[in-house]
Amino acid sequence: MSKSRISRRALLGSAAAAGGLTAFAGPWKHNRVWAQATDKPIRIGITSDASGQYANSGASDRRGMMMAISEVNDRGGVLGRKIEVTHIDTETTPATGSRVAERLISREDCGFLVGAVSSGVANAISQVAQRNGVIYLNTNSSSPTESGKNCHRVKFVWDGNGTNFAKAAVRNSIDAYGGKVLLLTNDYVWGHDTAKSTRALVEQYGGEIVDEILIPQGTRDFSAALLKIQQDNPAVVAAAVGGDDQIALRQQVAQLGMGSKPAWINNQQDWPDVYGLPLDNLFGVFGTTWYYGLDLPGVKEFVERYQAMYPDTSMRVPGNVFYNGYMATSELLKAIERAGSTNNIAIIKELEGHVMPAAERMQHDDAVIDPLTHQVQQSIYLATANDEPRDENDMFKILTQSSPQDVRDEEALEACKLESYDETPTFDA
Amino acid sequence: MISLSDIPARGGSPFTRSMGLFVLLLLTAPFWLEPIGLYQYLGMEIAIWILFALGFNLLFGYTGLHSFGHGAYLGIGAYAFGLFQQNITISLWGGLLAAITAATLAGALVGAFVSHRRGIYFALMTIAFGQVFWFAAIKLHSITGGEDGLLGIPRPDLVFGPLKLDISDNGALYWFVTIVLLVAVLALWRLVNAPFGRVLQAIRQNETRARFVGYNVWLIKWLTFVVSAAFAGLAGGLFAMAQESAYPDVMSLHQSGLIVMMVLVGGGLVSFWGPVFGVLLYFIARDIIGGLTETWLLWFGLMFVIMVMVRPEGMAGLFHVLRARLPLRSRKAVGPAAQAGRA
Amino acid sequence: MIELLPHIVNGLTLGLLFALIALGFTLIVGVMEVINLAHGSLFALGAYFALATIGGDWFAGTEFGIWWLSLPIGTRYVAALAVGPLLAAASGMVIELCLRPTYGKAPLYGLLLTFGAALVVEEVIRLAWGTGEQNLTVPQTINGAFLMGGLIFSKYKFFAAAFALAAIALVWVFLERTPYGAIIKAGSHDSEMVRALGYDLSKLRLLVFGFGAALAGLAGIILAPIWGLRPHIGLDVVIPAFLIIVIGGVGSFWGAVLAALLVGMSVGITGAYAPAWSMMSMYLLLIAVVGFRARGLLGRKSALEN
Repeated sequence: MSKSRISRRALLGSAAAAGGLTAFAGPWKHNRVWAQATDKPIRIGITSDASGQYANSGASDRRGMMMAISEVNDRGGVLGRKIEVTHIDTETTPATGSRVAERLISREDCGFLVGAVSSGVANAISQVAQRNGVIYLNTNSSSPTESGKNCHRVKFVWDGNGTNFAKAAVRNSIDAYGGKVLLLTNDYVWGHDTAKSTRALVEQYGGEIVDEILIPQGTRDFSAALLKIQQDNPAVVAAAVGGDDQIALRQQVAQLGMGSKPAWINNQQDWPDVYGLPLDNLFGVFGTTWYYGLDLPGVKEFVERYQAMYPDTSMRVPGNVFYNGYMATSELLKAIERAGSTNNIAIIKELEGHVMPAAERMQHDDAVIDPLTHQVQQSIYLATANDEPRDENDMFKILTQSSPQDVRDEEALEACKLESYDETPTFDA
Repeated sequence: MISLSDIPARGGSPFTRSMGLFVLLLLTAPFWLEPIGLYQYLGMEIAIWILFALGFNLLFGYTGLHSFGHGAYLGIGAYAFGLFQQNITISLWGGLLAAITAATLAGALVGAFVSHRRGIYFALMTIAFGQVFWFAAIKLHSITGGEDGLLGIPRPDLVFGPLKLDISDNGALYWFVTIVLLVAVLALWRLVNAPFGRVLQAIRQNETRARFVGYNVWLIKWLTFVVSAAFAGLAGGLFAMAQESAYPDVMSLHQSGLIVMMVLVGGGLVSFWGPVFGVLLYFIARDIIGGLTETWLLWFGLMFVIMVMVRPEGMAGLFHVLRARLPLRSRKAVGPAAQAGRA
Repeated sequence: MIELLPHIVNGLTLGLLFALIALGFTLIVGVMEVINLAHGSLFALGAYFALATIGGDWFAGTEFGIWWLSLPIGTRYVAALAVGPLLAAASGMVIELCLRPTYGKAPLYGLLLTFGAALVVEEVIRLAWGTGEQNLTVPQTINGAFLMGGLIFSKYKFFAAAFALAAIALVWVFLERTPYGAIIKAGSHDSEMVRALGYDLSKLRLLVFGFGAALAGLAGIILAPIWGLRPHIGLDVVIPAFLIIVIGGVGSFWGAVLAALLVGMSVGITGAYAPAWSMMSMYLLLIAVVGFRARGLLGRKSALEN
């Protein structure tokens, strides 16, 4: 494959239409801004899911990216160039993700791709991105393989992964409730990988796995699984069930009053999956990377900016998915600024090993983009349902926080083999 | 209503005007795809689906066996290609052979179950088998990668004697897919215009009569099913290369239904080329209408419903009727179907 | 064995729910010889219409809307049980009108047309109610759980199963013990005779399709709290429904009920050993049954075979 795509891009890139970057609407309507007279806009392809199991989270993810981009555009863009975005729905389907990535790169001329909730879709997109050398930000998919076996030179992973969350949760739970653990696993990569690392940790801390129940994606009736759990009678159920499946699971567990016994560990709890649910649906402990109720400087202003930009969304405060989408996009734009060019390799080098101060991240610890796995090593919080909420949005009570080095995913480090810079096609976006 | 058999046949040489146009379009596509706002990858995907649709129409249009689970064989081909690369050796021909073999075997097995069925029962049985394969692809996690699919399938070099070509780039791969498609189209053309093709149509028109005339109807139906599955497998192998992965998605009932829609809308029931129209319409509509509105399937679905109501012969049938009304042109350029109409 | 008991109970309730889904489907196949692939979409429509009724979507903001929402959930739920199926029936009748040009042609066309209709309905639902998962609330009396033999069971599932049982009985009484049922049954055996006796065949078909659609809508309302409600639920639902019809024998009422119970039991019992594979068991059941008995368990000869 040729090393340079500059000439073709230069040929195609001269078009620019009118229209401000206003509220985002439609599948991939162009939100064009005035191109600088001297330069064309920087084009970013948004690959978040708009339908399927993760439609809800995908919308939140996209709002995060759009806020970061509009803030930068309001300040005059990056390197004097405005940012343009195109969004195409990946339908939470890997095959569609693959085609969407092809199209965004070759037809929409996007130099960067951002967005993912489903690990299957993230995998599919990153393969296409790597072949073209296009930087891809996996904002919200937390399968450990994303920064392990399936890591790529062009891909950066912004969420905490299943192992991080399991490390934060498993030991506490075994100490509190005992070692008989049952795994309830969503039957796809994220579920399996998370269950695997939970299993290893349970054994490491002297617990025992009594059973593992696989939950097909799209399951709505959990009665068979819940019956089996009752019969096995474990002390702890470690669930790795995501998206709409999890909403259904929560309702049914709450309906049967099984929320307190056994004790539940829900590996990670995405805000869009629980927002608006009755509090009794929010049982057990779970991990998250960020919460709007964190008592840290900047959080309040961040929430206000969100509310000003999205006055009409039903989700009144930003959650972890929005946060990841925002942080990833804004760090990408900063890296372009630091690199002083839109050359993909130069930007990758800027991102690798970059340390993000705790104050900017609105977390308790400094975070770093691991140069070896491309995953952001960050604070992980353990939370549970808030029994004394300040208002209807205040659903979480933060129990503990773990620093990045305590929850580091060592296995991903061993499994990840990044492509070399030479193997990665280079171009200027 | 007209059917495949009502269109006068040409038989003999496959080098008709339609074939010429088809070859011309395929060979020039890389030069006009981007200027008209499409892209190379889409062209490749369309070529692969044309291959799949034409093979499928052997069963659907020619023999009148309405399979609603044909996506399964496309998927099996894709997985076989990928598993061959990952577990045996990286080889283009080996992978494609594995894809065809696996789909053929699956087709032979299912064909044995369904070939003594006809009408809607045939359709229902194929749905059931399609679902079994789809389900297995999702559940056999350790082999297929489950719902996330089999990832990292390479695009192996094209080795032809001493010649060794890198086809890992979308442009190069398109040329390879096109050549495979052209060979397959010629083979299919010969097949349906040979006496065998006429027997197929005879079975479609009246299975009992065909049996009385002395044909082993079961065997012929089974063979057709197997051949059709083999083409699907080949398409699947190419699809795995295009996507660099294999996903269970193409095996779902939804996708199997879509290929039926494409073939029917295009006019697979009345013309050899019907499936080509259908695939083109579907993919280009998906890309263009899909760009304008997220609910593009609504419009495509409505169009399909109206088509079934007023013109079930599809686009090819429409062209045929239009052409028949024009007194000047001869009708021979339309449909290359066989001469069973006279039988 | 004792361990298996709850799974058998679970399978039986599931079977009754499957039967409820298949009821309208088998009626339409039996009388009209149309495989209605839009059955699942009508199921979804029924549930979504019920959702809108309970939430008062149509009158949101008006005085009537405020009064409506002040009513207890039980009242609104019962109203939804009537409104949902009625509107589903109306939608079904629209599909029947579209189907008319396909009568007399190969059954394939009916199947294709309803497949297209299913796509259209799914997209309309996306437009009207969004892509996300929706939650159909039910009255508190039928919500919650109870203890039995040391295990917790969901109250609602038993309510739904009982409801399904009642619906099956009522439909049977309607078909067997009323003059309307007699006409419908006659229509499925010999449509010429029905016409000769002075009944309007196209009106009969319209009504039968509407009735089948209403049953689909009703099933949707009952099942949505268990299976959830999302735009593509139609396709998830139509597959078990058609499997049951084929296993039971096309057009056979008791065949469908029997097959539904069989499928429910097989899913329930395999669920005890391998929950991830339990849905596969119904396909294997189909292949096993139809492999030996081409027309299903209680099937009779049908024009669909040609």
